[in-house]
Amino acid sequence: MHELLLFASVPVHQHYELLQQLAGLTAMQPRHALERRLVYKAFRKPGLNTGRVGGSQDLQQANAADLQRVNKMLNGGMFYTQVVGPVSEKDFAAAPVKVTASELESDTQMAGMELSNPPASVQADTAATYDFDRQPWKLDFRDIPEAATRSAVTTRVMASAALPRGNIEPSMNAWGYGFVTEYVVEGDIFIHNDIVIFLHRVLHYPSDEKEPREPRRSLPSLKKMAPLEKTGSYVLQASIAVQDGSNQETMKTASQHLLGLREQLKSAVRLEPADRLSLDTRAK
Amino acid sequence: MAPLTSEDYKTLEQSRQRLVQLTRSLGSLVSSLEQGDPLPPWSSIQAQASIISNNLISVTEHLSDHRDLLASVVAYPGPEYPGRTQEPMLQQLLRTKLDPRVEDWVARGRAAGMAAHASSSLPSQSTIPNPSDAAMTNTKRLNDAELTELWQWAPIEANQEARKRNWGGNYTLEEREAGIQNVVTGLRRQLEDDDGSDDDEEGEEDDEEDEMEVVGVHRKPSGGVEFDIAPHHTRPVQPVVPLDKILRYMTTGHMP
Repeated sequence: MHELLLFASVPVHQHYELLQQLAGLTAMQPRHALERRLVYKAFRKPGLNTGRVGGSQDLQQANAADLQRVNKMLNGGMFYTQVVGPVSEKDFAAAPVKVTASELESDTQMAGMELSNPPASVQADTAATYDFDRQPWKLDFRDIPEAATRSAVTTRVMASAALPRGNIEPSMNAWGYGFVTEYVVEGDIFIHNDIVIFLHRVLHYPSDEKEPREPRRSLPSLKKMAPLEKTGSYVLQASIAVQDGSNQETMKTASQHLLGLREQLKSAVRLEPADRLSLDTRAK
Repeated sequence: MAPLTSEDYKTLEQSRQRLVQLTRSLGSLVSSLEQGDPLPPWSSIQAQASIISNNLISVTEHLSDHRDLLASVVAYPGPEYPGRTQEPMLQQLLRTKLDPRVEDWVARGRAAGMAAHASSSLPSQSTIPNPSDAAMTNTKRLNDAELTELWQWAPIEANQEARKRNWGGNYTLEEREAGIQNVVTGLRRQLEDDDGSDDDEEGEEDDEEDEMEVVGVHRKPSGGVEFDIAPHHTRPVQPVVPLDKILRYMTTGHMP
């Protein structure tokens, strides 16, 4: 799959206004989303890098090409990858969080949003605990954006796969990925035709805790989470996923749609392709 | 048929001149509408339209004055006409029927003329729909085309008018300058001049919430009207951490 993207930086004072504008443009209420994102980095497994595994000279020659290919596959592409888990406000901290959750809701959501997620609030009444072992996860791989300089949108290869629930640390380690850090993404999603618009920001865990070496089993109160960008600004991301990236026609249509959206939003925000190196997922 | 006199030649030449003038002024209006960005002011369009209408009148007068001659004159190619090289022109000249498009125009013009004749008791005789004219007569209902035209014209005009004003008061600036006690509001209750007095009561946050922002409206090149979804931010506030640093953190966990 390919993904076409445009980004814009949204100052916090413009956030509420933009939410309303996007709601008007897309004719839908914002879908509030909270995601835990775990950043993993591929590491070189010791012992896998041995070019010569013994055996006879003949065998080695016959397999030289194969061996090289396997080595390239194992060691060539080393990437950062993300594990994404959807959470809800009730997952943050324990029972008394409900107050913070509703405060946060009234802050960013618009009238009518309460109707769209009644199950969450019902559950919050019965069980306000966060069960790490039931946490669903999804592996999100993103390649470094393509180096096409002509293109006015960011294009990159992407792939997603569902992971088992609960603790994914052993599986990730077994696949050669080490935990780097984790953060929470908070934002609102809109769908505009084939474009997914995600207005979001990164939240840090409270800094007084020491940085753990594996994913947290419990979440602090949302109130204590601090935005990465101190002024609380948001990132607007508009993306289209294209199943067959080799089809030039579809890719062209998709990028035209994105540019069309950019034109529509021109007076509110300036959507632009991102700096390619800032989305570099290659692990050095 | 008698050979043409020099007078007749002059008449023909004159009709040619006048048609050329008409085509020129039409052409210049079309090009100024197509290429002018922003559109030329309405006064210049109006001036051009009146030039065209004068040209039309002079052509029509000329044609009806010399109706006898022009109706009897026929075109035929002389032996010296370069028929091989200029064949399309020859075909044009020898056509006896009008171009289908032109025929449509003629039919429409005739129909409009009949309608105008039928309703000649009404003050508005022109076949060009004029919204304000129709509104003044009050006796004639607007037809669909006129309504559409009115609706296309009104939002832009109203918006432009609205943008000239600073909203949020009971009186216009002109009225206030002339002294508000002179304004005839037609209201029994006393309107307060809220420019100065009740700012302190309402507080500043209130002002910001109540403020309606007037956004831009302009014509799309393809036709129709396009609204800006937000006023232009003349002074965008840049976040402290630039976008690419945030994206880098999101990708690799590398702190900015």
